[in-house]
Amino acid sequence: MFEIFQYDFMQRAFLAGILIATLASISGTFIVLKRYSMMSETLAHSALVGVAVGLVAGYNPLWMAVVVAVLSAWIIEYLRSAFSLYSDAILSIILSGSLAMAIIIVSLGGAFNNSLFSYLFGSILSVSSEDITTILIFGTISLVLLLLFSKELYFIAYDEEVAKVSGVKVKFLNFLLVSIVAIIIALSIRVVGSLLIGALMVIPTISALQYRVGFLKTVLLSWFIALVSVIAGMLLSYSFSLPSGATIVLCVIFIFALSLIVNKK
Amino acid sequence: MPLSFKVPIFDVKNINFSVHSQHILSNISLEIFNGEYIAIIGPNGGGKTTLARMLLGLDKPTSGEIKLYGKKITAFKSWDKIGYVPQRASHVDENFPATVQDIVKMGRTSKRSLFSRFSQADKEAIEESMRKMDVLDLRDKMVGKLSGGQRQRVMIARALASNPEILILDEPNTGVDMVSQKRFYALLKKLNQEENITILFITHDVGVIADDISRLFTINQKITICNSPKETLSCDEMSALYGIETHSIHQHKQHEH
Repeated sequence: MFEIFQYDFMQRAFLAGILIATLASISGTFIVLKRYSMMSETLAHSALVGVAVGLVAGYNPLWMAVVVAVLSAWIIEYLRSAFSLYSDAILSIILSGSLAMAIIIVSLGGAFNNSLFSYLFGSILSVSSEDITTILIFGTISLVLLLLFSKELYFIAYDEEVAKVSGVKVKFLNFLLVSIVAIIIALSIRVVGSLLIGALMVIPTISALQYRVGFLKTVLLSWFIALVSVIAGMLLSYSFSLPSGATIVLCVIFIFALSLIVNKK
Repeated sequence: MPLSFKVPIFDVKNINFSVHSQHILSNISLEIFNGEYIAIIGPNGGGKTTLARMLLGLDKPTSGEIKLYGKKITAFKSWDKIGYVPQRASHVDENFPATVQDIVKMGRTSKRSLFSRFSQADKEAIEESMRKMDVLDLRDKMVGKLSGGQRQRVMIARALASNPEILILDEPNTGVDMVSQKRFYALLKKLNQEENITILFITHDVGVIADDISRLFTINQKITICNSPKETLSCDEMSALYGIETHSIHQHKQHEH
């Protein structure tokens, strides 16, 4: 099985997979605890608009995905604070609206082809060195910011109002969190695809929560589960010629099911 | 020092609050001084929580002015001087990954500087507030597994971790058994008398703490301030004015004497 590491593209694939597993699971912990799970799905679809623009206009789709996803995250956060009663509906509107826009842009631009397909479902084997550099740069910045503000973000996730009263800059940090998540999602869609990244953000944390341990242990466990799923998913996809993104998602769901059974009361 | 020379912690002047042209609070003025223990009572929907939220800067009054330590609330920055225990304090999400220590640390979060971990002073303050609230032994327990009374003490410990000068508690007793409630009142009294923490306590249960408090505010859209709680407790017209069951207060008093 280990002959797969002889290939450059496999080494890049594993490196990209490990980076994305780390970024998605750690940022996913805050998203899940804040009850923002649907946010990751929505931003993944918004990122597709960026990909579509990139493909049609000839810019780097990954960079465009980052820009559009961050803008979309800000719009969502603004709308959520302005119309708090309908926040889930807002996510749903942006999700379907983004998908519609992406489809129209690619169909008008004649780019409805395999490259769009690879962003929908992920194409980890075609990750380039340039992609790895982009993921490394933005991923490191995102991770450093998350760790820097992790205590504040955790407090906000637990009780936003009490956090605000005790002097935590809630509004700024909410915007920062959604921006970081948008960047991570945009970076991830090349690897696991925009239809599947939500699973990699949410399911490792939901699985880790079943063990009912403190915050730090939950983050570490969620990271571990994401790493195992990505590595197992890639090995399985290589061995049985399965699509990598979908195999990774099924692996993480399998771990979730195991966690549920192990921790059944 | 005469009272008039003191700067009040809270100085509220003529605040009004209405939602969709319905008045929630009308023309409320009050001052709260260092070291006071104030109970706020009033019927449900009378505006108690709204008033507390305004004092905390969570809601803005439609008109009027709130000053904290002599500063306009919009310019006030030292929020670590204020500890807040909200209404839903003892109702925690059982799946939230938090040990007792994780929760109490939150109270210290805004004190820590951005690039540093918790300092020795932070750690000591966190431990001290857990000790005061008698939850030190529970530090590694998941908060979802605690009883209502224990959770309540954890939430107060969190509020105390920033060494606040004033504690605002909004009916944190919901879902807490009687024994824990009595223990809780004793703790509040101790914090007020021994640690000189100013307390603003929104409660239904004023009879039990009548001997501890210094003043009583009655809120039902308008405010009535009773400077002597004992005088208030015999004040029968209160029920007529505010629809509050005052007989329970008398009963408590009779039991005690």
